Amino acid sequence: MKSWDIFCTAIDNFGDVGVSWRLARQLAHEFALDVRLFVDDPQVLELLCPEVSPSLPIQWVSGVQVIRWGAGLEVAPAAVVIETFGCRLPDTLISAMAARDPASLWINLEYLSAESWVEDCHCLPSPQVTGPQKYFYFPGFTERTGGLLREKDLLLKRQQFTQADKRHFLRKLGVDPSPGSVLVSVFTYENESIASWLEILCRDESRFHLLVPTGRISKNIQRWLGVEVLAHGEIHSCGQLTIQAIPFVRQEDYDLLLWSCDLNLVRGEDSFVRAQWAGKPFLWHIYPQEGNAHLEKLAAFLRYYLDGMGVEAAAATQRFWGDWNRQKALQESWAVWQKHWPDLERNAERWCSQLARQPGLAESLARLAQSWYKRRAEITPPF
Amino acid sequence: MKTAQDVKVNNVVLIDGSPWLVQKAEYTKSGRNSAIMKMKLRNLLTGSTTETVYKFDDKMEQVNLDQVDVTYSYKADDMYVFMDGEYNQYELSAEDVESVIPYIVDGMTDECKAVFFQGKVISVDLPTTIVRQIDYAEGSARGDTSGKVMKVAKLSNGTELKVADFCEVGDWIEIDTRTGEYKSRAKAPA
Repeated sequence: MKSWDIFCTAIDNFGDVGVSWRLARQLAHEFALDVRLFVDDPQVLELLCPEVSPSLPIQWVSGVQVIRWGAGLEVAPAAVVIETFGCRLPDTLISAMAARDPASLWINLEYLSAESWVEDCHCLPSPQVTGPQKYFYFPGFTERTGGLLREKDLLLKRQQFTQADKRHFLRKLGVDPSPGSVLVSVFTYENESIASWLEILCRDESRFHLLVPTGRISKNIQRWLGVEVLAHGEIHSCGQLTIQAIPFVRQEDYDLLLWSCDLNLVRGEDSFVRAQWAGKPFLWHIYPQEGNAHLEKLAAFLRYYLDGMGVEAAAATQRFWGDWNRQKALQESWAVWQKHWPDLERNAERWCSQLARQPGLAESLARLAQSWYKRRAEITPPF
Repeated sequence: MKTAQDVKVNNVVLIDGSPWLVQKAEYTKSGRNSAIMKMKLRNLLTGSTTETVYKFDDKMEQVNLDQVDVTYSYKADDMYVFMDGEYNQYELSAEDVESVIPYIVDGMTDECKAVFFQGKVISVDLPTTIVRQIDYAEGSARGDTSGKVMKVAKLSNGTELKVADFCEVGDWIEIDTRTGEYKSRAKAPA
């Protein structure tokens, strides 16, 4: 079971590819597995890892074989095949997985959610009309889930990240914040409520320096600034607020950005998880869903995240995060949230330590595959 | 073929050549406007049960089973006995009729469907709407006739459900057996 295939389609953002790439690298580096990553849009991967050349059908990058996944793909499947986020595997591959000796272990890696049903569905079988044994694998925040992606040395690296490292990293990005300014990374979906937030930051007692990588929030900020584009390196100032456009950073550098900032605005899944490992206060823009289903998911996460925080700080967090995700004006909720800064910082570290006590997602997956192959040799599965 | 989201309780699906009765099917929204179906399945040949999960659009092979009209007769020991128009009796275990048990009351006359696989009765389906009498109900808030305010009531077999606030003990009500929800007040069956 040393060979692993990860299949991924880039749907509308970086999350699918980001998670798949991170998982692929970790399985290859830390578990010495032979990992192939099949991705339908290598251009998205190039943004996360500039060494990737989108024109190449097959290439080795960071110990992972990256394969462009197009129509007519014909490969002999690996011992473990992961389809990420419900991407559909080709029928020919599914047949080959079943025909393989021993048959491939088929895992559907699902989206991250803190809702309680995840624990009930994690690792359940999903017997298909054709194909080998398939299981659903759910990332999550408790020991009854698949955990979160966390490299073995991630927290140690974070601890060892010094002020000098921070200055050096920021200088590379062209960032030179005024002493004492609050540094904020802004990586979110479009959000109308950012205008009300920028207004109050201009008049705040503290100085704020916002770092905005190219992304979906850029248009809202451009509109507020009254500019057509927000080009890399551009700096705009308004009262106490500085807004600086920075380039989209590679996956490894995104951690350094999060560690360098005092507050991180993140979105979706991958940046959301990394912000938690950064141990800094953050604001999550959850992926909006039909029927406001995302608000339940947001509330489910906050139930875990705020358990252990002071009552008032927890209420302030719920309100500020809620207003942001409902795209409401932020003046009042920001003012209240900001008052609880020491609590927010303590809680972010507490939460990070709590999560770190659980096994990481890659480790759990590797264990699952190992025990499944061992068990398969011993018992007959129900299907 | 059906998609997983179209598979309902009491459907039978074929997996690896074995018929599996769907005892529970729960739809849940997962991420990015996707959804999953969690199911509890019972193998009709071995009786073993298992829980599974599917993407909402996964294909499943449904088995069409023979059906016969039956009515409930009586319970003997742990078996529920139903009878068809020709007085043939069919015995089913509590597991076989798990979804029906909450609505079984003495003297019920609902025309049910007995479901067969390879000549053996495996389950019973109730009509979509049934009429039952309230045996117990909490007190009402005065004057509410909207039907929007709900309260807890019980049937004679102890099944609890929520009914409109104006319903009283002795009233007959319609129940949707797919959801187990109160639909409206009804006339007493003839």
